[in-house]
Amino acid sequence: MTEPDLFTRLAATHKPDCLLSLDGPLPQAVPNPDELSRTLGSDTVARYAQDCRPIYEDLRRVIGQLSGLLILARLTAKSDIADLPEAAQCRARWVEAGQRLGCLNAPAAVQGHKAQLDSAHSFCGQILAQVPQLRRGPEAETQFDRMTVQIKRAYAHLEAASAPKAGLQMVDFTHACCACTH
Amino acid sequence: MADYSIWVLEYCYVSKYHKSGVLYGAHNQGYVKLPYCYVVIKGRDHVAMVDVGYNDKAYGKVLGDRFGVENWRDPKVVLAEVGLTPDDVDTCFISHAHFDHFGNVEDFPKAKFYIQEREISKWVWAMSLPDRMRWMMVAVDPGDIVRGVGLAAEKRLVTVDGAMEDVLPGIDLHSAPDSHTWGSMWVTVRNDGQKQSQDTWVMAGDLVYQFDNLKSSGAVVDVDTMYTPVGLAVGSQTNLILATEEMMSQVGYEARRVIPIHEEGLRDAFPSRITKDGLRITEICLADGEKSKVA
Repeated sequence: MTEPDLFTRLAATHKPDCLLSLDGPLPQAVPNPDELSRTLGSDTVARYAQDCRPIYEDLRRVIGQLSGLLILARLTAKSDIADLPEAAQCRARWVEAGQRLGCLNAPAAVQGHKAQLDSAHSFCGQILAQVPQLRRGPEAETQFDRMTVQIKRAYAHLEAASAPKAGLQMVDFTHACCACTH
Repeated sequence: MADYSIWVLEYCYVSKYHKSGVLYGAHNQGYVKLPYCYVVIKGRDHVAMVDVGYNDKAYGKVLGDRFGVENWRDPKVVLAEVGLTPDDVDTCFISHAHFDHFGNVEDFPKAKFYIQEREISKWVWAMSLPDRMRWMMVAVDPGDIVRGVGLAAEKRLVTVDGAMEDVLPGIDLHSAPDSHTWGSMWVTVRNDGQKQSQDTWVMAGDLVYQFDNLKSSGAVVDVDTMYTPVGLAVGSQTNLILATEEMMSQVGYEARRVIPIHEEGLRDAFPSRITKDGLRITEICLADGEKSKVA
């Protein structure tokens, strides 16, 4: 097998803090299940979109919680985040999301969408596995850096699976400052 | 003598916002324009901002289609109106973690960000609650917290626990726990640099939406004016009132020195102009030697 030329190697090499440096399917926008159901007229796809909502919500929360916990662990006196009740609740929600994902019946047309959810779940799991071992000190910095990339990657996958019309949306605007008469 | 220039820069707006959102209890009283703004504080070799707006790439279509948010402009365009670029900004004070205040950190690559620790920790707590309590997670994007992790990794995020004096010379941070949000924060500029300042300005974040929150009719309790809190509070209206009293005491009860950033009426209290993009630039004060950007 021939070695790739220098340009190809450079182009394909990511910096350590790049979220694409991690293995696995890349985060990429996929057809929204709500739009697919309209174009294909498929009740199955519509049901899939409906079944996605609790999984999406679980993952949205797990990513938000893990992000907050990482900030607190890195910047504040709250070093023992593994012992916080919020960390336990986060893990429980992640487990629940995994069970729901396992039961999710994804028609062929939305397999790409489900793959994004699977990846978001997987990267969250990788972070959760490291939380009990988090320690202060120089080595912790390296570990935090790794988890930073992993949480960004998890978010990128969930963002790729977002579909506002199907209720898969990162922000609830209902009572936001902008929620006016429309 | 003034150390800092302060401008309020509009970056988009909602033309018709229900008044009860702005003013607690103002039901069936129609609509008001709700500008979305951030604040620039320039002086003492610093360019600081209070809040950074939101990222239109992420939310623009939803906000436009569903909520009538109009005329969003990139910080490059908005800051240019006062002769600055996002790269010039070295410090950002985040009043709270709602997406329209904390949602565009990526556009300020050289800034260090300050936010209350409680804003993060209570968010983590709120996310752990059952779905039936989801209201408490309103208007916060997990993505903004994810970006906060990135800022922490780059050593560009500082979590503040309560008040912090002289974050920049003459600029203090104050917390208003369990008010508009869990860890809302206001920024006080002592523009003469004195501890007992005679020239104090308060950037209120969303603790005050409009001047009506500071001076609305007090007929119901037989006074001329009274505080009426904003409509949205995940904490309590009581805590909003207490924070308002503290802000007002810092400025000697001169209401125009508490600067709300959703207030169209700034144009009546300060010099301002409309840009070619149809957004308002309001000049709160000028540092010694600084030229007006609205003249």
